[in-house]
Amino acid sequence: MPKDLLTLLLDFDDQVRKDQAQPAAFLHRRDRKFALACQAEGQRPSPRAWLRYVNAVTARPSPTRRNDARLTFWHRCTVGFAAVGAMLGVITMVGLLFYDGTNQINITVMLAFAALQLLLALLTSVQALMGWQPWGLLMERISSRLGYSPATGSALHSLQPQLMARAAHTGGLAFGITGVLTLIVLVVVQDLAFGWSTTLNTSPEAFHRFIRFIALPWQDLWPTASPSLDLVADSRFFRITEGSVETAPARWGEWWPFIVMTWLCYLVLPRLLLLAFANGHLGARARRQLARHPGLAALQYRMETPALDTGNAYSDAKDQPDLATTAAVHPVPSACVIIRWAHAGADTAPWSHSETHPEPALNLTAGGSASLVDDRQTLRRAGLQLSSDPRKAVLVVTRAWEPPTGELADFLAEARQSWPQGVRLALLPASVDPTGQPPQHQLSQWLRFAERQQDPLIYVCSAHAPAAPGHCDATGHTAGEVQ
Amino acid sequence: MSAAPVFAAVGHPNKGKSSVVATLSQNDAIAIALEPGTTRHRQTYPLTVDGDTLYTLVDTPGFQRPRRVLAWLEAHSLTASDRAETVAAFVTQHRGHDDFHDECELLAPVLEGAGIIYVVDGSVPYSAENEAEMTILRWTGQPSLALINSIGPDDYSDTWQAALGQFFQVVRRFDAVRAPFDQHLSLLKAFGQLEPRWEQPLERAVQHLQEQRLRRSEQASGLIATALEDMMLWQEQRILTATQATDQSKDALVNSLRERWYLHQRQREQSLRLTIEHLYQHNRIQRQEAELTWHSDHDLFSENSRQVWGVSRTYLTTAGFGAGALGGVGIDALTFGASFGTGALIGGLIGAAGSYFYGDRLTLSALKIGPLRDGLQTASFGPVQDSQFGYIVLGRAIDHWWHISRRNHAGRELLDLAPTESHWLEQLDRDSRNTLQRFFDKCRKNNNLDDEIRQRLRHAIEAAFAAYDDWRLNSA
Repeated sequence: MPKDLLTLLLDFDDQVRKDQAQPAAFLHRRDRKFALACQAEGQRPSPRAWLRYVNAVTARPSPTRRNDARLTFWHRCTVGFAAVGAMLGVITMVGLLFYDGTNQINITVMLAFAALQLLLALLTSVQALMGWQPWGLLMERISSRLGYSPATGSALHSLQPQLMARAAHTGGLAFGITGVLTLIVLVVVQDLAFGWSTTLNTSPEAFHRFIRFIALPWQDLWPTASPSLDLVADSRFFRITEGSVETAPARWGEWWPFIVMTWLCYLVLPRLLLLAFANGHLGARARRQLARHPGLAALQYRMETPALDTGNAYSDAKDQPDLATTAAVHPVPSACVIIRWAHAGADTAPWSHSETHPEPALNLTAGGSASLVDDRQTLRRAGLQLSSDPRKAVLVVTRAWEPPTGELADFLAEARQSWPQGVRLALLPASVDPTGQPPQHQLSQWLRFAERQQDPLIYVCSAHAPAAPGHCDATGHTAGEVQ
Repeated sequence: MSAAPVFAAVGHPNKGKSSVVATLSQNDAIAIALEPGTTRHRQTYPLTVDGDTLYTLVDTPGFQRPRRVLAWLEAHSLTASDRAETVAAFVTQHRGHDDFHDECELLAPVLEGAGIIYVVDGSVPYSAENEAEMTILRWTGQPSLALINSIGPDDYSDTWQAALGQFFQVVRRFDAVRAPFDQHLSLLKAFGQLEPRWEQPLERAVQHLQEQRLRRSEQASGLIATALEDMMLWQEQRILTATQATDQSKDALVNSLRERWYLHQRQREQSLRLTIEHLYQHNRIQRQEAELTWHSDHDLFSENSRQVWGVSRTYLTTAGFGAGALGGVGIDALTFGASFGTGALIGGLIGAAGSYFYGDRLTLSALKIGPLRDGLQTASFGPVQDSQFGYIVLGRAIDHWWHISRRNHAGRELLDLAPTESHWLEQLDRDSRNTLQRFFDKCRKNNNLDDEIRQRLRHAIEAAFAAYDDWRLNSA
């Protein structure tokens, strides 16, 4: 059914357009799930089934052929062609059978007209077969003037030649049917005189052979509708009638069965067959277009391909830590105790001793591979030194590249509790290169660590810091020398 | 069916656990920062195929107080046989305790049966303070693998390898930011070898990932082919009233249409780039193009682009000859060979002449003004008459694809599409070159493109991917 196929094609095309706004991962999951469900049920995943699945909850019943808004233009077009064809059929036949008693109705003219109609019908089909649409622009304009959405870009666009052929054949069929009905009516209500006439030097025998050839399809079925040689010979007429043979008046009317059959056989029947062919052709084109629809290839790909989810749905990229700090890098204080956390800076001293910075009295270790008992021992020894030394500062050397952990925070908190009040705790992050200074991003993490301790006497120092401590901006850059 | 294996990335804070997970799960939305404690809760990243989980990666916070944990464990364990139970007891005891929040988060999946992926930074010196962590992990009794990730430029991985070998079954080096895709798969296979029952799901996962990679390449070639067709055939149109047509000078009209044409092409290229990035699950890449730096040296229409991505006239003429000869062969076929290849020769010569003549026409793209109808005139600009434009678009698209397809999801640096130094298309096979030229010629003539030539174009682009890859590897 071409109409069903058309609706299917348009529904599919619409859904593919809607899907363009959906994330690819969602489409893949959805369609793969559909394919797996079909496989489980032993069904073939057709586009029709897919549409039912996609619209299972939200869709209304599919529009019937008469109320599908997307086809309204072509529906009206076909009805219009049929109405105009029917009207023209009546007018044309009345014109062809116009008889005022002065001259016979020429069979030759009627045959020529039927041949022209047959030719037009064939041309319409050839046009549709070849996909020509010289009237395409006109149809676009008419449809846009009537307020219909343009077919350009839609699935309907490439089917316009077939839709047009169907409308034209419907009009032609209506033309033929009303024409033959008008002929019968006029035959009944009027006394029509048919004859044949031609300027060519044709003998009645030759014309009879031609007529018999035309009447071949029905000569056995209805012999009366196949004119005899006598009738052909008797019904020839000339414009100038002097010297012509007298013919019985009843003979002139014996042509009408032939005319009716000619009209039916060469005008109505071809149109009917071509209309059926146009319908079939439209269906075949719609089916082919659906099969070649880029959306169908993509759908098949999604259905055949396993939906691989690598676990990329979770996102916390926006939950970045706040890297801003107001903490500053201070100069290295004159300390009485040095504690090397995890043996940091064990190779060389990351600062130079001077008169203002005499060597610390105690050089201890904590953290790293040391045990918690060792840490407590270190705290106790440092506490003893602090109680007797006027330099109330402890230098804690750390590895700048290792992030400060909870263990160091615990150690500092314990130190604060066990040591005398007012002792400064200076953290000195040592670089991998004993002579160099740590890079800024390493120094920044220590500044933020010191700030988190919320103790003004815990701070970060550097041998490269200026005498007056610089301030760190949000990125950790100091206003001083530290880079 | 047995439960899918789970692998927990654990270790010291700030050593690249999240980077490893981001790369393996192809997720560029995992927070990665040079700040300890960025990861506060464990997060799972399952790899599923049609809803079936093949394996799950778990990103965890780093150890904060490993020595205190170890001290507790040693204090509560009697023999080596109760160590795993003691670790479980520790987690039960301290769940909800602020000091051990991170340890509980990282040990919980391991105690639930996860394989251990212990991540260290091989660019900093080995430290004995990691030994407490490694000991705790050994106490859990779970299959384990150590991964030496390199965050910085220095290399201490040999020392790390020697130390880690004493604690872990397998030690691997893996640069989460720079490791090529083959190494991702190799690492996953290594995960599977930790436990016999994990081998099969990991093998399946590797196979699916390989297939996904191939499919993405095919899809990328299709996307580039479509964009190339759109851009080559794009026509900028403007409807003018009769007054506008007479008032506006032709130059002004050309300039206005050209600008709009350029803008459209840039936007189309931009949308292609985004689509390719999303295809490879890169949703957060920062590129220079995102900023208003269109008129830089990297611009689609800059002279620099032309020099870098355009092709020589000799190349154009040769490719044009090949493309023309393909058409001319049809004449020879019609004469059943009686023309002795004259058709191919003539077609080739016409193709070569056309390509040579139209090879430098970007600045001469045609302005067409249609007839006056109902008081309106249509002015149109394009399609481009220059095959070079196609080569520029293609070159830039393939370069971008190459960077994206090789970019790991742990990478957070700006995507820098630096211009190349010489032309890579010379390495493309003759058939693909002819197909490209034939496609560009058809676009130039605004001929209808059928499905066959589109299909051939996609294959030619896939061949170009391979040629570009080879050229990059050889020129590196």
